[in-house]
Amino acid sequence: MTSLLNKVINALEQIILEVIDPTTGTVRWVEGEGDWAKDLFPQAGNQQVFTINEETPFLFDFLYDAKLLWKENENGRLRSGLWTETTLNNTELHLEAIAIKQQQHNILVITNQREDFKVQQKTKQVAREVLLSYDRLFLKNEYLHTRLLSILNQPSEQSHILTTLAKVIENAEFAVFIASSDFNTNIENTAALSLFEEQTFHGSEPTRPINIILNLMKNQLPEYERIIATHSSWDGELCWISPPSTLKWLKVAFYPVLNKLHEVENWIIFANDISTVKHLVQRNEKLAMQDMLTELPNRYAFLQTLEKHIISAQAFYLLYIDINEFRRHNEFYGHEEGDKLLVELSKRISSAVKSTDYVARVGGDEFAIILANIDNQASCELAIQRIIESINKPFHTKKANSFHISISVGVANYPNDAQGVDELMKFVDLSAYNGKKNKKNTVQFYSQSMKDASQHLIIVEQELRQAITNNEFELYLQPIIDIKTNCINKAEALIRWNHPEKGLVSPDSFIPVAERSGLIITIGEWVINRSCQISKQLSKLGFDIKISMNLSPSQVADSNLFTYLKDCIQNNQVTPYLLELEVTEDVLVDDYSVVETLLSNARAMGMSVSVDDFGTGYSSLSYLKKLPLDYLKIDRTFIKEIVADDNDKAIVKAVIAMAHNLNLCVTAEGVETQEQLSFLVDNACNSVQGYMFSRPISVNYFIKLLNEQL
Amino acid sequence: MIQKKICLLGASSVGKTSLVKQFVEGIFSEKYLTTIGVKIDKKTITFENEQIQFMLWDMEGNDTYNVFQERYLRGAAAYIIVVDQTRTSSFHEGLDIHTLARQVSNCPAVLTVNKNDLPATWNIENNENKVYKDLFDLHFSTSAKTGENVEAMFLALAKLLLKG
Repeated sequence: MTSLLNKVINALEQIILEVIDPTTGTVRWVEGEGDWAKDLFPQAGNQQVFTINEETPFLFDFLYDAKLLWKENENGRLRSGLWTETTLNNTELHLEAIAIKQQQHNILVITNQREDFKVQQKTKQVAREVLLSYDRLFLKNEYLHTRLLSILNQPSEQSHILTTLAKVIENAEFAVFIASSDFNTNIENTAALSLFEEQTFHGSEPTRPINIILNLMKNQLPEYERIIATHSSWDGELCWISPPSTLKWLKVAFYPVLNKLHEVENWIIFANDISTVKHLVQRNEKLAMQDMLTELPNRYAFLQTLEKHIISAQAFYLLYIDINEFRRHNEFYGHEEGDKLLVELSKRISSAVKSTDYVARVGGDEFAIILANIDNQASCELAIQRIIESINKPFHTKKANSFHISISVGVANYPNDAQGVDELMKFVDLSAYNGKKNKKNTVQFYSQSMKDASQHLIIVEQELRQAITNNEFELYLQPIIDIKTNCINKAEALIRWNHPEKGLVSPDSFIPVAERSGLIITIGEWVINRSCQISKQLSKLGFDIKISMNLSPSQVADSNLFTYLKDCIQNNQVTPYLLELEVTEDVLVDDYSVVETLLSNARAMGMSVSVDDFGTGYSSLSYLKKLPLDYLKIDRTFIKEIVADDNDKAIVKAVIAMAHNLNLCVTAEGVETQEQLSFLVDNACNSVQGYMFSRPISVNYFIKLLNEQL
Repeated sequence: MIQKKICLLGASSVGKTSLVKQFVEGIFSEKYLTTIGVKIDKKTITFENEQIQFMLWDMEGNDTYNVFQERYLRGAAAYIIVVDQTRTSSFHEGLDIHTLARQVSNCPAVLTVNKNDLPATWNIENNENKVYKDLFDLHFSTSAKTGENVEAMFLALAKLLLKG
């Protein structure tokens, strides 16, 4: 029996030492043998007593921890972790020690871990090489992308730009294309030509490299149409197979270059040949199917699993999770923090779903989940709720700054919404995109009406671009009356869209589209410029009337806003104190430091600032004290029932009192009746605005009103 | 002879093993071979007629696949945080490891910005990074490849340990 045991121990490449004296590290070699063991302890032999000393420093150090275990009465085990020992004859041994307490026996097992070491080294070597190479690739791509964007965004002669671009991209180590919006013309570097060099049969024309990429994207990316239609960027891996002998893995980054109208002027495309890295990874089955960063299954593993679920014909829900504003997060905190967020998020999602569900990272900031064994929307909503709850808890940067994120969740059901991998992926991607740019968590179940609505949005966006080009907007003014003088002293500028077919379109139906598409910046600039023109016109006519302009959240976040404002004021020769900026409460609390700088600069120039829709947003009032403000505009919802509702009465009174304490003036919005006005006059409100006095009116009609007032 | 345990810590592939190899054997290999677990090398140097034997604990780099293990710092006379001047992320990771190490040890800490033979993508002398230099007792810019400052770093460390 002992002999058999010894054989097993030898086969396992272990030696067993019985601890005689834990304090001195004296042991007896009781079982196991082998050349490696003799090399390790040349001073000892089988059944001999010897002391572990600093000749084997790692093991000697491990005895400190082992002694604590051996002192205990309880059974227990402690592993040392792998270490490499160089023996006297210069052999490297890869070892692990296990301290054991078993029924009052103190035992030390040393295992020659050369097999395990080899496996670990092979896997980690590949994993680390891949991490390193992706890291370098990312840095190079980011650098070139920023540089190209700055060149493309500069106003310059077309021929001059092309020469500069050609020079810049020529030195890149990877393939770079800069294509026109329709991809029909492009410039490319030598790396691009050599990457896509393929054997052509006699007489056949070689395919344009850019067309190869586009075809790969069309065939391998269900999201392709949405990416092009919505002018989105994308990065990921594509496999290029071109018989007879081409098989390349490409890491492709695809970025739009947008103009002021948010139209695509150019596309920048990078392609890196990652075949070698991919080959390394594929030698290891686990790594081939795993996302290196989050250790979740990757896109390819996910698509295979999705296919299997479809074949099994069991109903399931497919979720597509997209982090809102991830790019901005990356820019603000850095790439590393972005990675940290992805890892943390993947953990939270995984712990929020059931073990039977399947979570994968399918893109840069995109995760996909198969909720198996769920066949009704209510259960699916519950599962999503759990995910959102886990995400709502704050995240932390390495420097312990806390922040929150929000996600867009797209949902589709198998088999009701679609029955194929491509269609399902297309639908969930579209659903998630519909919630994008919204700073809140959104869940969008796929439906035909959602698809139609999405199509409608694209059409409205296109029409808005035309509206900007064709100058279809008009600025209306709604008078604001000073209660003391009973005269118009201010007007709120409100945009109207004279649609060539639909007639006058309300801002409620197009501003959200403009906000979402980014066109709000251009439209907002038009409003500022037109307001300045109107102010100048009124001044010339002898009217000192303040024009109040609404700023959207995107405008406030736009770093060029203040420069644009200043230029407009100078170009139109307007007195700044005749202009006012109106921002909503949500904007004020959204990014305090940005807002504070903007408003302080505006006020330093002489402009005033008012808070619009006051009372409907966040209830925190601390910003009122800190921010440079002049007016509060009480939202119409409080004014509406002011005569009948005691609560509204109390709220309005309190707001007026608080504002006056803070040296702020108050404007009441939506005043429609004499009773409402009387209440406001009695409670020392400063000014009023509403249909009782005037609807928003054209500039000419407004001037007529002013003349009547004289 | 005095024996001192020195731990080399840092993110993976910053050149910890290469620094040890350069210092102990005077050689450098271009081929990257990741360290698994811990490997201990010894080298004796003479400083002001005194012999000091360094027990160099070269540890597996810290990343997704291997977390920092404080227990390996037990009994260390000093530790060297190795960072890579071609990757800013390695500097941030090095600082994180330093913070963790400080929770268990007050021994002298050295910062070495390695791979100085390659173009830098970040600089320790930048205003935002400079402040971190004060967290360390010594700092060096080294190249395991050319050997620049490698010997000097260990000599300075020997001096610090003997005088201290």
